[in-house]
Amino acid sequence: MTGRRVIPLRWPAVVAVAVVGVVGLVAFTWPFFVTGDFARDHGNDAPWLFAVLLGLLAVVCLAEVTAGRLDAKTIAVLGVAAAAGGGLRLLSAGTAGLEPMFFIVIVAGRVLGPGVGFVSGALAVTTGALLTGGVGPWLPFQMICAGGIGLGAGLLPARAGGRAERWVLAAYALVTGLAFGLFMNLWFWPFLGTNAPSGMGFVPGAPLSENLAHYGLFYLATSLAWDLPRGVLNAVLVLLAGPALLRVFRRGARRAAFGVPVVFEPTRAAGADVDSPLQGAGGAR
Amino acid sequence: MARLQRRARLQHPAAWWLWGLGLATAASRTTNPVLLLLVIGVCVLVVDERHDPATVNPLPAFLAIGAVIVAFRIVMTALLGNGIVGETVVMTLPSVPLPDWAAGVRIGGTVTLESLLYAAYDALRLAAVLACLGAANALASPRRLLRYLPATLYDVGTAVVVGLTFAPQLLTDAREVRAARTLRGRDGRGLREMARLTVPVLEAAFDRSLGLAASMESRGYGRAVRSTTTSRRAATGLALAGLVGVLAGLYGLLDSSAGGVLGLPVLVLGALLAGSSLLVGASRDPRSGHRRDRWTWTETVTVVAGAVPAAVLVVGSVQGWEGIVPSQQGELPAVPLIAVLALLVAALPAWLSPRPREVAP
Repeated sequence: MTGRRVIPLRWPAVVAVAVVGVVGLVAFTWPFFVTGDFARDHGNDAPWLFAVLLGLLAVVCLAEVTAGRLDAKTIAVLGVAAAAGGGLRLLSAGTAGLEPMFFIVIVAGRVLGPGVGFVSGALAVTTGALLTGGVGPWLPFQMICAGGIGLGAGLLPARAGGRAERWVLAAYALVTGLAFGLFMNLWFWPFLGTNAPSGMGFVPGAPLSENLAHYGLFYLATSLAWDLPRGVLNAVLVLLAGPALLRVFRRGARRAAFGVPVVFEPTRAAGADVDSPLQGAGGAR
Repeated sequence: MARLQRRARLQHPAAWWLWGLGLATAASRTTNPVLLLLVIGVCVLVVDERHDPATVNPLPAFLAIGAVIVAFRIVMTALLGNGIVGETVVMTLPSVPLPDWAAGVRIGGTVTLESLLYAAYDALRLAAVLACLGAANALASPRRLLRYLPATLYDVGTAVVVGLTFAPQLLTDAREVRAARTLRGRDGRGLREMARLTVPVLEAAFDRSLGLAASMESRGYGRAVRSTTTSRRAATGLALAGLVGVLAGLYGLLDSSAGGVLGLPVLVLGALLAGSSLLVGASRDPRSGHRRDRWTWTETVTVVAGAVPAAVLVVGSVQGWEGIVPSQQGELPAVPLIAVLALLVAALPAWLSPRPREVAP
């Protein structure tokens, strides 16, 4: 079942995702390799520039990945992933960003392939932001990160339904939980400038090693306390509910019968497939 | 006065968002606490006057987050210090010796007024930007903007609408399943219980959602968007060219040895190309809309009222007016009068825009 991908990634979409990934990486890591002049002149504008740019690119990327190939059933499945992500976001609004939604994104990406993984990650974050009224410059960065997490889950090399899958996914949830914080801090870290705690701030023009060391300290001091619980929570949720949830998504995908061509057979007019609302799904099982 | 009492209607969401972004741009240009508090005051006033009473007001949450940021920044600065060296010592905390690898980090020690003020002003700026975004969220729910997605993103937008509609339903389902489990003698707490909830809840969501898909298909969903192979290919070409342009522009911008002059124009060109691919890829069949948002002169006034402070403060920060970036002395900073007037202009929509809904007196 996993061999069939709901949104097959064609080469333009692959190129688009790759380029957006590179731009995203630059948008997060630019403080580490720009010259001192640039950082002094544009250090305060750069996060806004990248927020606008990433917002545009994320939308273009979504358009390329989905270009004209979403049927009603794919939209329905994406809607479930977005609703689950957004609902969990609503629940977790009180828990200071523990974000249990990633576990849904990981499962969706795993079952439905990297294309849907990317789209459902980005849409889950968007839905959560729209529900909680939390639309802001951080949203494009979060869309790229969550989309990347879903995409990566689709590309994991574990055999579907195997015993190893559960553990691979749990480890992936732990790692991405930590990495999400590691990257998301970076969008505002240069903002802090001299305002960061001494020895942990962004120093324009300083060598890479110094800025990396400063950021490492900043991460340990401020963000790890949130990221570690988030990673562990998602990993535990995957361990506990992962296999069952994978089955739910696989069953849903099978019922939606992706990729089965619709054929009209005049001889089977009466009594066939009355239980299935989605005609054409008859041959899928 | 009677002429100003226009019919109640919701203003065009784009107008409120442009207003909010303009005010946020203005706030991001200054660290003057008087101006920033004025920005927050304008946001609160306008939201108070023109927020749709039928929806939840997200502004208090944004203000609370802003307050937490300010407090957190001040506490962190007192404990860990920042890059500002000041004269006025407020207090001295006991300091903690640290190992060599953490050179440069200090915990405790002297706390100066200058460093505290610098942290507070900077955090206040972020809080003001957040207040502007919260005001935009409160005045026009961003989901109303979904209607204006380009036709290429019609499918994605539909998926988001499905998600938005089902998410609250999902929470209700979760509550029901949990209640049922409690009746069977489970206490319904803990991670394991939460994990058990997911299967029935998501099964129900898939059932509902596939039912919706079936009804969408039977009603001819997808006919609203027209896209031909040629237009889709053109869009893909534009998108890829734009993305390559963005990448090249970024490289030029960040690596000044490789022609920094070319960087920004190439970047803008690439972004424009990528953006135009959204418009080219598909076109929408003309449809009649239900309660279409209108753009009248009040919308124009709202957008202008947001653009004025943005323009004034951008000019002020470029020309370096006194008081736009105040010094961190223990005194009230100079306040440029033009900036104050410009920010007051942003409060005009509180009276000039139509009321969102008739409120019973």
